[in-house]
Amino acid sequence: MTSLVTSLENRDDAAVPKVRPVGRTRVIGYIVAGLGLFIVAAFGLGSSSHAHSVLTFTPVNTSSNAPWSIGALTVLTRYWNMALGLIAIAIGVDMIMRRPKGAMMRFGVAAVLFLFTLLLWAGRSPGPSAVPFVNLTSILIGSSALAMVLIYGALSGIMCERAGVVNIAIEGQFIGGAFFGSVVASTTNNFILAALAGAVAGGLLGLILAFLSLRYLSDQIIVGVVLVTMLSSLSSYLNLQVLSPYPNLNTGNLASDIAIPILCKIPIVGPVFFNQSGFFYFMIVLVAGISFGLFKTRWGLRVRAVGEHPKAAESVGINVIRTRYINVVLGGAIAGVGGVAFMASQGAFQVGYTSGLGYVALAALIFGRWRPSGAVSAAVLFGISAYLALNLQTYQIPISTEILGMFPYLITIAVVAGLVGRVRPPAADGQPYKRD
Amino acid sequence: MSDTAPDVLVPGESGANVLRRSLWTRFSSKSPVILALLALVLGFLIGALVIIFSTNTVLDAWRGMFHSWGAPGHALKVTFDNVGAAYRAMFTGSVIDPPQFWHSLTTGKQWSNSLTPISETLTYATPLVIASIAVGIAFQTGIFNIGANGQAIMGGIAGAAVGSMINMPSVLHLPLTMAAGIAGGMIAGAIPGFLKAFTGAHEVIVTLMLNYVIAFFLVFVLLSTSFQLPGQSNDISRTMYSSAQLAPLFGTASGLRVSYGVLIAAAVVLFAWWFLDRSSLGFDFRVTGNNPHAARGAGINARRVVVLVFLISGGLAGLAGVVQVASTTHYVDGNFLIGSAGIGFTAITVALLGRNRPMGIVWGSLLFAALGVGGRNMQAATGIPLDLATIIQSVVVLFVATPVLVKEIFRLRSTSSNAVHLATQGWSS
Repeated sequence: MTSLVTSLENRDDAAVPKVRPVGRTRVIGYIVAGLGLFIVAAFGLGSSSHAHSVLTFTPVNTSSNAPWSIGALTVLTRYWNMALGLIAIAIGVDMIMRRPKGAMMRFGVAAVLFLFTLLLWAGRSPGPSAVPFVNLTSILIGSSALAMVLIYGALSGIMCERAGVVNIAIEGQFIGGAFFGSVVASTTNNFILAALAGAVAGGLLGLILAFLSLRYLSDQIIVGVVLVTMLSSLSSYLNLQVLSPYPNLNTGNLASDIAIPILCKIPIVGPVFFNQSGFFYFMIVLVAGISFGLFKTRWGLRVRAVGEHPKAAESVGINVIRTRYINVVLGGAIAGVGGVAFMASQGAFQVGYTSGLGYVALAALIFGRWRPSGAVSAAVLFGISAYLALNLQTYQIPISTEILGMFPYLITIAVVAGLVGRVRPPAADGQPYKRD
Repeated sequence: MSDTAPDVLVPGESGANVLRRSLWTRFSSKSPVILALLALVLGFLIGALVIIFSTNTVLDAWRGMFHSWGAPGHALKVTFDNVGAAYRAMFTGSVIDPPQFWHSLTTGKQWSNSLTPISETLTYATPLVIASIAVGIAFQTGIFNIGANGQAIMGGIAGAAVGSMINMPSVLHLPLTMAAGIAGGMIAGAIPGFLKAFTGAHEVIVTLMLNYVIAFFLVFVLLSTSFQLPGQSNDISRTMYSSAQLAPLFGTASGLRVSYGVLIAAAVVLFAWWFLDRSSLGFDFRVTGNNPHAARGAGINARRVVVLVFLISGGLAGLAGVVQVASTTHYVDGNFLIGSAGIGFTAITVALLGRNRPMGIVWGSLLFAALGVGGRNMQAATGIPLDLATIIQSVVVLFVATPVLVKEIFRLRSTSSNAVHLATQGWSS
């Protein structure tokens, strides 16, 4: 631990004095305990003692692939929520007293508890809700589309940042991929070609970022942000010039689900994991591939060496610049495919519909400590909270749409503020590299 | 920071020599002005390519290139006609329409029509200058304030609230409205400032996310009963009392919209020059931006600098927002500074273009305001979307951020690159 602290102190980018990471666990503990108290007070005591909530598990759009029915679960809202809130308080108190490792995982558990109790509370009856039940499976399916895009974005960020380049243009690569993916999917009706087109668009943007920041040592963050501005105006321009006069270039692009036999019949798990579009399965392959590649292969070791200590990597014969070029272009391509995936889950390209998801993906990457597995958990958490923020209105809860809409962004800020000092990025992340 | 020192006097040097040296340093390949102009040329060239590849008539002409001997010439002509019409509309809509101007000169009539393009450009540039100074001061401290747009929205909300809810003599009301705008922007700026100083949260993510939060907050506020225009169900606020409005500079009768806000912008430019070049706090800021280690070694309190720079930057962005409201619409609605109207985003590009120097920012603002205003005229005249202006702006800034590339393209003598760099280049503070 001490060596980690000193290595942090010696980092080359200190504009602000380091905050001791020791106090962070305690702070997060207070936050978790506060969440628990809030659950007990608002969602537990806030519902009357005879109110109950019904959880259902069969997705709404029942087709031939509907899972085996397991009925519904009815719970007493007040007592369940109070019990779950007490668990959150216990986790928080434990963190304050003992300061264990794994603070983020615990924070994640508390966040899930919060969302779950919120749902139970919102869907209680008798209550204000017009929908007398909470369909857990439908919520998870809806969230999975958002989570999928975030995972693509976070994987793109991992590819670039593990090699030492901050790719803040993920949002732009989403937009580029979605636009060209939509045009190709509409003309060829082939989603594999569309994914390829998205990968090329995203990869080209990655190439521009790599070219400007590796060859000309431009500031990576400035270039990234300007690329996003350029892509969002370019997509709006092309939307008016090309897609509006030729609407058949941007229509009917909803990717159909591919059900995996038998597995798709398992309740909850089946519809969420085994009855999805090809983009979802490709994402799973990508997560597994990148996790394995980064941590178990020679290629991964080299990439990480380049991201941690490029001079040392160069001295043992690794071509730093080339590694970075390859990784940034690959990362851009992954984000481009993510854009196509998002487009395919919405059915068509729309201007501005990514609404900052690329930046949320970056926060998921930080939350997940630059590891694919961590980024996936963070993306799932963000995906669920973003989906709920957009859809809680169905339950007519007494919070306005605008306030709910802020939630995903506020959570992102909280995560970045609460965790950035704790997690250690690749040591050379964002640092320009000049060969001697 | 500046490798050009045209104003340094060498003892015994003749006046003419000083002038020659000053001109040389300004217009040599080292000069940021030349660099910006070359970047602009490249921006317009790429904009032309975008027009060419998205306009059917042009593409058709090129497709028929091998049909006859005259076809290539015809294709070129169609290309130049289309691109030329677009850029001509941009110019006449933002600077001057020569025939109209000649008409006014010879007959002495319709001056209002002749001066409208310039007046519109100035109206657009006024808040842009202020917002760009806000971003520029942060940049000089090595801080990337992408949240200027959200801070400007907060300033606009606060200003519109004070301007429309209370009524008092203009002498008091106008300063109070402006102060409210500054306060609104400061509140929005304080969040990333404190978070960065005390938790190390990277300002880029925090300010970006706050932009989305504030966009929701804007609609939320506009729909609240105390703020909404009575009798309306849309997201639109009450109109400011005339005592809180920035009146047109040449009177309402002139028909020119350019307002007293220009004077506020000028005052902000003066303030920024004094602050960055003459005040000790500004010195601390610049040292922190140039070399955080040296700043820490010199005993500059980095946390204090981060918080203060966000307060000043946010306050100025808020002022830009309230100037925008008080000089143009006099009310706030759901589209206020959203999308292509987001001056806070344009301000980032302007600050980079003007190399974060007050005068550079003034020229950059005028240029990008002309692009924006001209873009509107281009959209009306030729149907080419306004977004082209934003595309050109971002291309220009990409090149300005990469000076060596521009020099290579134009085969200029390569000198030390002095692109803008942020103090923090990774994620941790």
